[in-house]
Amino acid sequence: MKNKYIFGGIIITIFLAIMVYLFTQSNIQYESNFQNVMSKDKVCKATGSWVKSKNYEFDKVNRTFSFFMKDETGNEMKVVYYGSIPNNFESAKSVVVTGEYKDGYFHARDILTKCPSKYQDEKVKSSGL
Amino acid sequence: MIGSIILTFALACSIFSALMYYLNFRGYKNTLNYGRIGYHSMVLLVLTAAFYLEYLILTHNYGYKYVYDYSSNNLAKGILAATFWAGQEGSFMLWLVLSSIVGLVLQNYSSKRGDLEPRVMAVFSLATTFLLIMVSPLFKNPFAFIWSEPIFLSLKDINPSLLSLPFLQNFQFTDAQSGQSFIKMNSELFATLSSGGISLKEFIINGKGLNPQLLNFWMQIHPPILFTGFSMATVPFSFAMAALMKNDYREWVKQSFPWVLAGAGILGLGIMMGGYWAYEMLGWGGYWAWDPVENSSLIPWLVGVASIHTLLVQRKSQAKGGIGKFAKTNIILCLLTYVLVLYSTFLTRSGVLGDASVHSFVDPGMLVYLFLIIFIGSFLVLGFGMVIYRWKHLSEKIASEEQVLSRDLALFTAAIVLSASALIVLVGTSAPIFGKAVDAFFYSELHVPLAIIIGLLNGLSLLLKWNMTRGKDLLKSSIIPISIALLVTLMIIILGGVKDVMMIILSFSCAFTLAVNIDIAFRIIRGSLNMIGAYIAHIGIALFLLGVIGSAGYSKQIDVNLEKNVPVSALGYEMVFTGYNPIENTNKYQFNISLKKDDKSFSVAPIMYISDFNNGLMREPAIMSMFTHDIYVSPLGYEEDDGSSNKGNAVSFQKGDSKVYEGVKITFDDFNFPPETRQAMMQGKDFEIGVNLTAESHGKKIPLKVAWVNKSGQKTLTSADLKEDNVKITLLNLDASGKVDLALSKLDGSNLSAVKKPKEVLTVTASIKPFINFVWTGVLIMVFGFVISVIRRLKESFK
Repeated sequence: MKNKYIFGGIIITIFLAIMVYLFTQSNIQYESNFQNVMSKDKVCKATGSWVKSKNYEFDKVNRTFSFFMKDETGNEMKVVYYGSIPNNFESAKSVVVTGEYKDGYFHARDILTKCPSKYQDEKVKSSGL
Repeated sequence: MIGSIILTFALACSIFSALMYYLNFRGYKNTLNYGRIGYHSMVLLVLTAAFYLEYLILTHNYGYKYVYDYSSNNLAKGILAATFWAGQEGSFMLWLVLSSIVGLVLQNYSSKRGDLEPRVMAVFSLATTFLLIMVSPLFKNPFAFIWSEPIFLSLKDINPSLLSLPFLQNFQFTDAQSGQSFIKMNSELFATLSSGGISLKEFIINGKGLNPQLLNFWMQIHPPILFTGFSMATVPFSFAMAALMKNDYREWVKQSFPWVLAGAGILGLGIMMGGYWAYEMLGWGGYWAWDPVENSSLIPWLVGVASIHTLLVQRKSQAKGGIGKFAKTNIILCLLTYVLVLYSTFLTRSGVLGDASVHSFVDPGMLVYLFLIIFIGSFLVLGFGMVIYRWKHLSEKIASEEQVLSRDLALFTAAIVLSASALIVLVGTSAPIFGKAVDAFFYSELHVPLAIIIGLLNGLSLLLKWNMTRGKDLLKSSIIPISIALLVTLMIIILGGVKDVMMIILSFSCAFTLAVNIDIAFRIIRGSLNMIGAYIAHIGIALFLLGVIGSAGYSKQIDVNLEKNVPVSALGYEMVFTGYNPIENTNKYQFNISLKKDDKSFSVAPIMYISDFNNGLMREPAIMSMFTHDIYVSPLGYEEDDGSSNKGNAVSFQKGDSKVYEGVKITFDDFNFPPETRQAMMQGKDFEIGVNLTAESHGKKIPLKVAWVNKSGQKTLTSADLKEDNVKITLLNLDASGKVDLALSKLDGSNLSAVKKPKEVLTVTASIKPFINFVWTGVLIMVFGFVISVIRRLKESFK
């Protein structure tokens, strides 16, 4: 046997195994129907739009930012994000929140705002590592 | 129109050049010059088109859609020039321009090295051909007129003196929701305008402008460097193809080596520059978020760096004659680097990532999507088709086998580890195509062990000799670096408070490779400086990893409310918000914060402003850089007393609000409104709704209660007295939604004084990032190492 195949093989196998494991662990589904979001107790990425008529609120004491989102069919849900208002939130066309729905609202740990198409090379970070 | 024509001619030249070069390779001697003429004409035409586009941008020619979409009159010259690459069309154009210039150098380089030119240039001009098709009028053409597809223009962008034109009525639309009016620009309106003798330049006087987050220095420098890296990835592909075409796998290694090194160095610099941009401008406090756009340029870089390691082994082992070790690996890795650049373009430009990234993507349409697939597919099939075709020749038997303790095997393992990293990032980034996504921990957890192996392997490989080392020798030579590394790790544990086992091992691994590399670098300085490149690059990587451990693993973060001129202690510093002031010549405001620790004091000034572009609040962090750490202050918001509605004695409180009256801070805590009371209220019985307040003065907190009392249908609103402070609080009204109105007056009935809110509060996120400087200096040192290596390998490429 050639040493290079043993070495290469072992490393690739180990990392492939860990990768597959972590992939199943950290696998997050996209969900554009809020009824599904509300019914399951698993972390997902909910995509929808911000309901502008219901204003957003920033709670300075608890440092939460809350607003309402609706999906394509009009289902609405309250979203609470533990952090500050993302830059550009006001002009966001669509919003992607990552988190879990429980206790009557969506607990978001990450918000992604999408702006109208003209901001092609938009660099907006709402949260990081 | 002119621009598109020039680009179309350039496309013809590029195809002609590729064909002539190929024919020359197939034995037609007289076509070599045609190939060269074709290529040079193509470069000339591409540059002309690029200058023309830049001219249109600088002269504000909004008749072109691209100019209208990304620039406006108020941009500073440097930024205005950089709007060239603000959109997809322009960035493809930038890629094309840089590719053609890289090709110019490559043509010169290859013409001096035997019969290399026709093969390399045939493949390279094939790549420029695809880029030219991309910017052709069929796909992402930057020279499209604004009327080529109907577009709604805001009235403020139209020349006001022309708005009264009667026929404009037919093109005017009003958005019912926002009440804004637009002019629908289409070919019909264009025809009407032209027949009236009005040019588009007269008609449209301003553009949409650029996103405020792109309005900075990095916008001018990051994209050109990144795309230079992308362009240079085409070169190893061309060399590998050239080798396959000739069926000679010996020469190409040394010939392509300086290119592979230079490409990896530039791409690495470009990637990290993007990270620094994010860190400095975007305010979320980090430099890498495993975002698809970042990832997709990292993948080809990792594969390119992997190929450097195995190319080195092949080159060394050629000394014994033959094609050397890892011939197949090298061909495959070099082909992959470019294919992955194309895949990265596909991911970020085709719209498949839609919701996955913080970068917004436009769906470019089905045609572009298909073309991108054809683009990748062609190069994939071409490259790997050739590999399969030549497989037997590539598998030339080599007598010697790699020993376990040899530098050859260590370098090969390094390439494997880097490829594993690339594969992980590739899988994670591609997941959204299948409607899935991975968390950031997917990447970070996998990369900790990978980084550990990389550090140990790197240190070890330098202690190992080529071919074979005896275990005893290895032990002897590794005692000193291991001791130093243990010492450094111990210091990191004790001084840095690092407790996580993986982080300790990683620290050790980085310290080990650092010690080995510095040791060798010092020994080399006395000898030939030429050889020092690799060691410097690895010192850079080790520093970079140490910086990552510190800044990602051990940063401390806190949100603080800073009332003006009131010191707050946070993260070991005393912070005082001293006020804000507008920054000259901008609409931005800087918020001055002074920081004090021991007797050192300094100030930072984060920035906030409302952007005209999107009517959004934009925030820019302030960074105080020190040797051991950065203090990173990112603004969240600012509130101030408007002074208008709070005068007099009737004051509204929301639940949780605090207001100051006569030196007393009064807080509305909550209602006392139990269900029994609610029931009593419904049934018309007697009830009492309490309002709980807290008064705070002279450091004391006094709970207070006022109430709405209903007795036998009679409503009474009670009051509470604060004798010590001479204040009387009377309930005026309450609203179950969480609002009360209180009358505040002096007990002795003297004049009512103004009521003040706690005023001028700046809220910031402050964090300390330990050793983040190591991240930046590490990358710079690494790039410097690449530069030295390129110079050395360039000299060798002639031999």
